[in-house]
Amino acid sequence: MATTTATVSINSSDLTDDTLSINVSKQCYKAGTTLGLDQTTGLNRLYVTATTQFDPFPVVKGATNAAENGKVYIANLSTTDTEYITVGIGDAVIGRLYAGDWMWMPWSPKAQHVNDIEITPSVATGMHVEFMAIHNFANIYPDSADS
Amino acid sequence: MATINATIAINSSDLTSSPISINNTMTMMKAGTCHGLENTSGLVRRSFTATTLVDLVTVGAQMYGTPTASKANKLYIKNTGTSTTDYVDILIGDSENDSDEELLATAGNSKITLGRLYGGDWMLIPFEGTTNNDVMVAPSTAEATTVEWMLFFE
Repeated sequence: MATTTATVSINSSDLTDDTLSINVSKQCYKAGTTLGLDQTTGLNRLYVTATTQFDPFPVVKGATNAAENGKVYIANLSTTDTEYITVGIGDAVIGRLYAGDWMWMPWSPKAQHVNDIEITPSVATGMHVEFMAIHNFANIYPDSADS
Repeated sequence: MATINATIAINSSDLTSSPISINNTMTMMKAGTCHGLENTSGLVRRSFTATTLVDLVTVGAQMYGTPTASKANKLYIKNTGTSTTDYVDILIGDSENDSDEELLATAGNSKITLGRLYGGDWMLIPFEGTTNNDVMVAPSTAEATTVEWMLFFE
């Protein structure tokens, strides 16, 4: 069991007349327990040079993790205001992460191709993207083709 | 123009053999610009007492304004409960009336589960806001469950 804490602070002094201050901190637990998530993909850093859609966390055929409580972090490290990545899940678009944006969400992967997370860069001129999953999924790697 | 900063910190001393410490701050800008988002739904608090799937954040015109689709909108959601066993499923799709989860654009079944928010869990995601992209919740219990959310949009 590991202890992983995810904290968010959202602040603004001028979005509304009164100051906005949201601060939340929560440990990442396995589904329905107080046991910490104990696996991670590590923080991946990718330099993408095509507008081709890709899966940062491919779901392997036959994997059954629909009842699990993984967490996903994705960040667009570009510094060019107009560059973005479109993040989707299955056939749905979640939204766009423009330069400097990040996201954090739960993820319960179902069967392959149902709710795979997908990233589509807006430009082919190159941008850095970071992503990481913290999870307790089973069968997340394909069987070896060597035999 | 407003300045809205959102900072995430992910820390663990024992998830891997070396400590993890990720800190990232974004200033919520309008799409493709260096000008801050100016509109918000405000922090909405909503309670549920059934396991029925419901629209939480609906696209299109709302009381708080009309978020422009395919921009740099951001959505924050938190399950304010404390339960480690009760949760809300978070889904994206076109209608709370659809019966089944979508598989490769099956007509009429157009919602997809992202994942679960247990008590105290939070998420911050971009919000596409196009037609058929409502954000929905499905509580796991009929016991009172309260969810807070806030949309930042242009």
